[in-house]
Amino acid sequence: MAADSLDVLRLPVVPVEPRPRFADALLRQIAAAEAGGADPAAVRADPAGLRDNPTVRYFVSDLDTAVAFYRGRLGFEEELVSAPGFAMLYRGGLRLLLSVPGVAGAGAPLPDGSLPSAGGWNRITLQVTDIAGTVEALRTAGVRVRADVSTGFAVRQALIEDPSGNLVELIEPAAGYHERT
Amino acid sequence: MGGQRELSTPDPVAAIYRRALPHVYGYLLPRCGSVTLAEDLTAETFMAAVAATRKPDGPELTVAWLVGVARHKLADHWRRSVREQRTAALAAEPDDTLDDPWNEWLDTEAAYAALRRLNAYQRAALTLRYLDGLPVADVAAHLGRSLMATETLLVRARAALRGVYKEERDGC
Repeated sequence: MAADSLDVLRLPVVPVEPRPRFADALLRQIAAAEAGGADPAAVRADPAGLRDNPTVRYFVSDLDTAVAFYRGRLGFEEELVSAPGFAMLYRGGLRLLLSVPGVAGAGAPLPDGSLPSAGGWNRITLQVTDIAGTVEALRTAGVRVRADVSTGFAVRQALIEDPSGNLVELIEPAAGYHERT
Repeated sequence: MGGQRELSTPDPVAAIYRRALPHVYGYLLPRCGSVTLAEDLTAETFMAAVAATRKPDGPELTVAWLVGVARHKLADHWRRSVREQRTAALAAEPDDTLDDPWNEWLDTEAAYAALRRLNAYQRAALTLRYLDGLPVADVAAHLGRSLMATETLLVRARAALRGVYKEERDGC
């Protein structure tokens, strides 16, 4: 092929600022992805990830199902989903990270070979205003209730399960309830 | 103490992403011709970069490397669209591929407009070869084709471009 009349089409890279909304969202997503995994170097390199939001990580067997559950049933907002292994949700000041065991990042096996798994006794506690009504609505929606509403110390409480078997505790303040003001 | 200092230092990784963003987007936008697609591929590029640099032997993070990742993402996009419309793409190839004369004067805007109307493989091959100035072997690597198949593709793509270009230039 003779060289080459089409060489005039050469198009150098001219920087173009993307729309600010897109740029901000992407940079946030990058920071979150760097903070989202288990790599300690990435956490150290990302001070933006060291916020005050209390953060809890749950292991879930299916990401889409889990995100749908926390959004649809418990009022979480989706911040980002990085399929197949990671999602970040917010509810008020609580940041909830969801990781799928076996997927790189927090879901990766530990050095001793053990794999994270869903379940266990530790749980997040969400405060609600009408615990009886909430639990009944969740039960009707097919959510598994592990412990029905009971009276504890200064709260009424119940335990439900997410689709992967992680516990979520619901509480409604009762007489004598204390919280730092 | 060391930890404290590290926390107050501006994050070099975030800085390079911030600096590279207009370059990556500026590479993709004119080649895609679509803001939505350019944004999607920009996001794909950066998320792939984050994943790659988390690996133990990750690449050095530079603007040039990120633009290279963007080029791969763009080629991948075109390869996907070829798979989705393979029969249409093959049927659309013209037959008069033997001689390839261009006017010495080329209206580049009309040529870019014509390029956008070609099928995905032809568009990909010409973009990588001429807009990006890659050697034919690199074009072949990006498209996952043999060198010979890529040369044939380029000849046909030039012929197809010429046909559409005439329409664009003459305002049809």
